[in-house]
Amino acid sequence: MAMVKDALDPVHGRAPLILGNPSYKDITEAVARPIELSNYRGWWVGFLVSASLLGVLLVSIGYLFWEGTGIWGVNNPVGWGWAIVNFVFWVGIGHAGTLISAVLFLFRQRWRTSINRFAEAMTIFAVICALIFPGIHVGRVWVVYYMFPVPNQMDMWPNFMSPLLWDVFAVSTYFTVSLLFWYVGLIPDFATMRDRSVSKVRKLVYAIFALGWRGSMRAWVNYERAYALLAAIATPLVLSVHSVVSFDFAVSFLPGWHTTIFPPYFVAGAIFSGFAMVLTLAIPARKIFKLEHIINEKHLENMAKVILLTGSLVGYAYAMEFFVAWYSGNPYEQFTFINRATGSFGWAYWIMVTCNVITPQFFWFKKLRRNVTVLFILSIFVNIGMWFERFVITMSLSADNLPSSWDYFKPTFWDISTLVGSFGLFFTLFFLFLRWIPMVAISEVKGVLPQANPHSHHGSVSGEDAYVDSAKEVLAHG
Amino acid sequence: MSSHAHAHMPTAAEATLDKGHVLRKLPVPLAVLGVAGIALAFVTAGDDHTQFWFSYLTAYMFWLSAGLGALFFVLIHHGTRAGWSALVRRVAENWMITLPLLFLLGLPIVLGGLESLYTPWVNPKPDDIMVVEKQAWLNPTSFLIAFLICGGLWTAFSLYLYRGSRKQDASGDPAIADRLRWWAPLGYVTFGLTITVAAVNFMMSLDPHWYSTIFGVYYFGGTFMFFMAILSLSMMGIQRAGLLKEHVTAEHYQDIGKLAFAFVVFWSYIAFSQFMLIWYANIPEETLWFAHRAEGGWEWVTLLLALLHFAVPFFFLMSRHIKRRKTTMALGAILLVVAHLIDMFWIIQPTMTQHVTGHSHFGLALSDLLAVVGIGGLVCAVFFWRLGAAPVVVLNEPRMDESVGFENY
Repeated sequence: MAMVKDALDPVHGRAPLILGNPSYKDITEAVARPIELSNYRGWWVGFLVSASLLGVLLVSIGYLFWEGTGIWGVNNPVGWGWAIVNFVFWVGIGHAGTLISAVLFLFRQRWRTSINRFAEAMTIFAVICALIFPGIHVGRVWVVYYMFPVPNQMDMWPNFMSPLLWDVFAVSTYFTVSLLFWYVGLIPDFATMRDRSVSKVRKLVYAIFALGWRGSMRAWVNYERAYALLAAIATPLVLSVHSVVSFDFAVSFLPGWHTTIFPPYFVAGAIFSGFAMVLTLAIPARKIFKLEHIINEKHLENMAKVILLTGSLVGYAYAMEFFVAWYSGNPYEQFTFINRATGSFGWAYWIMVTCNVITPQFFWFKKLRRNVTVLFILSIFVNIGMWFERFVITMSLSADNLPSSWDYFKPTFWDISTLVGSFGLFFTLFFLFLRWIPMVAISEVKGVLPQANPHSHHGSVSGEDAYVDSAKEVLAHG
Repeated sequence: MSSHAHAHMPTAAEATLDKGHVLRKLPVPLAVLGVAGIALAFVTAGDDHTQFWFSYLTAYMFWLSAGLGALFFVLIHHGTRAGWSALVRRVAENWMITLPLLFLLGLPIVLGGLESLYTPWVNPKPDDIMVVEKQAWLNPTSFLIAFLICGGLWTAFSLYLYRGSRKQDASGDPAIADRLRWWAPLGYVTFGLTITVAAVNFMMSLDPHWYSTIFGVYYFGGTFMFFMAILSLSMMGIQRAGLLKEHVTAEHYQDIGKLAFAFVVFWSYIAFSQFMLIWYANIPEETLWFAHRAEGGWEWVTLLLALLHFAVPFFFLMSRHIKRRKTTMALGAILLVVAHLIDMFWIIQPTMTQHVTGHSHFGLALSDLLAVVGIGGLVCAVFFWRLGAAPVVVLNEPRMDESVGFENY
């Protein structure tokens, strides 16, 4: 069989994770190059375009604060418009980073090292974008601190039974832990950048962030321990954050919102959209910055498999919702779902199904999973589909329990400019990241190279063996 | 402790039970015990057989988890190209190969037990609109067809995966491993859909007014947790019998324990989501299901379930020391087995009195115990029969080198 001789997926042994058999130095050089490059023209173009879009966001928000939420398309039944759609969309994007950095770490998936830095950065930027929307949608922005349980002389407290308050806790915890996790992973790499710096200012800045890292064995032992603990703390957050987001909808008794599968379904959808975004960003970045040997076909294929899996889980959830809407015998449930597919927002529903359920099915085929162009195009479809999923869910409001109040939702110019502007914020942060922070975890990638394994060269390993044993000694006795 | 320096690949000879070994003598007595258990359950349960069928269904769903959990484990092993689990895969396959028997054991329910178990939809009241509405799905013919499809697919997949693995033992042809891996993803899809149908039909439809979109996932969560528990217990038994003593180490038990722990949490997450969302929205046709589990003595079972299926194992199995020591890991595993049995009991049995009186009254019958022993006897008979019939470890497995001398770090 020809399949047996698949170099990327061998029956015996494992394909190398990093191609071209590079040395440690080669890895450092390849990752540090984009930061130390002196010709930034391409970067400036991307950065300025993103920054202009960020300007659009700031103007949109400024006008919103001046004029009020009336500038949006929200109306009487559809009290939640694009603000919640964008919020859920961006929070979801973040999930791939946490899954890659925490869950895949616990599962010892060593291929994660090539993409985790990248994905974690994306997580943090996506959560920043997400946090904007609950902040600005409140109408009376001057009392936005009411979202937090701040003790005050009026004895006014937020409603602790409200999932919107749980959101504040869930997302801010998520942001804090993700940032800590990302930063801890960055410390050795900041030290590398510090040691390579030729300018004094740059050296000082990297030195501050490197926290005096010298790479001693004891430092590494503590570091590994902290990393594992943070991974264990971050893992439940992968599930909890989007579950809480789903509660925003599911605790209500609105047909189409109140369904018990929402928490795991939202989590699967979040990972699905997050991985699609990682592909959308990684495919051009690895080419432009010549990192194709580090983020190679195998990594992209693995991500495509995760997309296929989570996309199918999302499809399962859609199917269960439909089945149970019928099975419940509840005419309101049944109407809502039939109306989703055939009603005034039917067009959005079918965009959602096409992008989220049909698109990933192409990834059943190895040829397509390993075709970078196909991956890139399909990843964009998934991004679009997952935005529409949240739109379709939110638009359940347009035909609620009171037919006399039914109304169609039309976005205004400001709805669109805010969404587009949020991409500006995301990409502005992302371009800054590419320029200042190693986009691949240098020290972790070195750890998965064959020469990092003391048993890779048989016979001449006694010295390294002793090193590993003494490291274990330190681990065991502190 | 650099075990990797000393461990070697297990050979067929050292991984096979001796002809006269006590474990090889178990199948016949276990089968006898099984038949006797079911027969006694039938006799002691009373003349209208309702109690018998409820006891039988509880035991059936409990043991079905062993076969389905094993099927999922083997599929995951192939699909993810796992390395660490190669040493324990054959034991999982031996549990998986109980699925053809479990298919047969499900047939009596479908052919003879529907009337007793599912009265509300087998003989619906004409004014019970919520049941009449779903008769296209809930009727004996659809139920039978659905079960034949599910059971047929379980049988086909388990036989295919088992035979492939045995062929690999003999020839070591890499094309076999390749083909098993190729089928695994299709297995996930099949598994996901069939376990959902099984959970909905056998358990959710006991109370046909009630519905929950997450119910299939709920049963899956408990199923896989239960399987990790019996996998670690059966590995310990095999090591006690003198096999694989040097090969399966604390590292493997820790990994099995980690998965068990993960699924304790996953089940709890799903169970909590289901409960909390229904409690919060407070819609009568949904809350009633939980109300029936908070009356007539069942409230104590509910509490016990929360304790034994979540709180206790969550804290107990968190520590790596617990998972790496056989005695403590065995304790944890036994706890999870008990928890899963309570879970099945808690889902299925309150509906029995509810069908008659409209309320739940807690009761424990002798037949409950006998049915668990009975179906368990038959399932374990098949397990031990296959255990004696082949090496207890897969041979010529391409990833065996990763499993032997494997270390957590």
